[in-house]
Amino acid sequence: MAKPLTKKDRNGMLYARPMAIEAAIDVANQQNIDCLRRRAWLSDIDDSDFLPMECLVHLIRDALRRGDEPTVNALMPAFLARSERMLTAKIPDGGRVNAAEIRENILSDFSLLFIQDGRDDHSNVLDFFECRFARAFKFFRIDYLRREGARSARLQQLPAEDDGRASLDENPLTEPREGWQVAATQEQVIFQGELLEAINNLPCDERRAVVLCGVLGLKEESEDPTVTTAATLCGVTGRTIRNRLARAAKRLSQYKEIK
Amino acid sequence: MTMNQTTPTTLLRDVLYEFSLAKAMPDAELLDEYVRRYPEHATILTDFAIEMVLDSSKDEIEGTAKPSELTVTPTVSRVMSRFQNQLFAVRSSGLPVAGRAPNLAAPVANPFAMLDRKAFRDLASGLRANNVFIAKLRDREIDPETMTDGFRHRVAEELKVPLDLVAAHFGARSEVRAGQYYKAEGKPTAAVKQSFQEAVLTSGLTEQQQQYLMGL
Repeated sequence: MAKPLTKKDRNGMLYARPMAIEAAIDVANQQNIDCLRRRAWLSDIDDSDFLPMECLVHLIRDALRRGDEPTVNALMPAFLARSERMLTAKIPDGGRVNAAEIRENILSDFSLLFIQDGRDDHSNVLDFFECRFARAFKFFRIDYLRREGARSARLQQLPAEDDGRASLDENPLTEPREGWQVAATQEQVIFQGELLEAINNLPCDERRAVVLCGVLGLKEESEDPTVTTAATLCGVTGRTIRNRLARAAKRLSQYKEIK
Repeated sequence: MTMNQTTPTTLLRDVLYEFSLAKAMPDAELLDEYVRRYPEHATILTDFAIEMVLDSSKDEIEGTAKPSELTVTPTVSRVMSRFQNQLFAVRSSGLPVAGRAPNLAAPVANPFAMLDRKAFRDLASGLRANNVFIAKLRDREIDPETMTDGFRHRVAEELKVPLDLVAAHFGARSEVRAGQYYKAEGKPTAAVKQSFQEAVLTSGLTEQQQQYLMGL
């Protein structure tokens, strides 16, 4: 049985690894370094010997704690190679001018978490990666890009109010986001990808309004001041949100026509 | 200036990790829950929710792509090398690593020692300082007790090394770099450390640079 995690959630409960990860760790703990090295390099999830990333994080952390450098050196290259592949899917060459450099920096910063593990502020942050590696790694990547200012223009401060005279009539973007969470067909997946790309290209204020109302499903505004709405989150009136949605709808319909 | 406190940055980072792990993709309910619980982080939570949605067109779930051979790329090779160097630096810094007893006899590693000329200049620019000031940091000429936590965090961030390592470096005895040229007949000895404020004021920094550093 692997040592329990020590990170607590917002309700004060200890984080726990999924059962499948616990089982994979138990099996891995019985295996020798050569076997683990071979398994770490497997990339086919359907292979019965495939080692989940959560499990690899645990094995490397544990080896570092014990000062077992041969195991660290055996597993870390495969772990980094698999992480790099995940990064390349999101930050492909050609997608950005310095894609390769960004990937390397993210990977470098990520490897630092293992060195900082168990020390001051960074104590047990890797617990998150032992629970759900893909989600934690996604956060790490987005956080890196945000900090580096690669998307600073997108997240810049918004104008406080907007009295544009765009149409406030029927607005398709105020409809709740049916089909966003679960894309049933391949076609829907492709459409979602294209639509997200189009939304991504909207001006910042419109993009925020569209994602908050059209994708996340928040109300534009509410008479009840305790309700979280797009207006409260953006610090503007409901009318401003509606104006932004109307302008965005116009742009997105033009985009659709072009496509 | 204790180093073991949970800083606001740490709390925010944990909140954002939790938020990211809670669901594959955030929704109104989740965002509402977190904004109510952490109203001070409402803006950044909203930004993150938006980023996560826009990022979700092709999620990085392993094994969904056609499996192909994994190799040690030049990137992996370089990262691995840096990882080993940093691990070595931390372990030889004499600070406890994950339950190990501190190695008190070991000299404190100098995280500035591995910087080449360009990296040195980049560090100066990243810290909005100049080479004179960075040389003082490198040679441990500044009294660490007079530095702010914010400054130490910025240096660690720019150097991409653990905060502990930076703190241990600043706290160690002043040194004159090996291989450093000098004109005097005898080898120069390390001088008494300057206060942080003194160092900022006597390094030829512009007023703007001084204000930035003092404000960290």
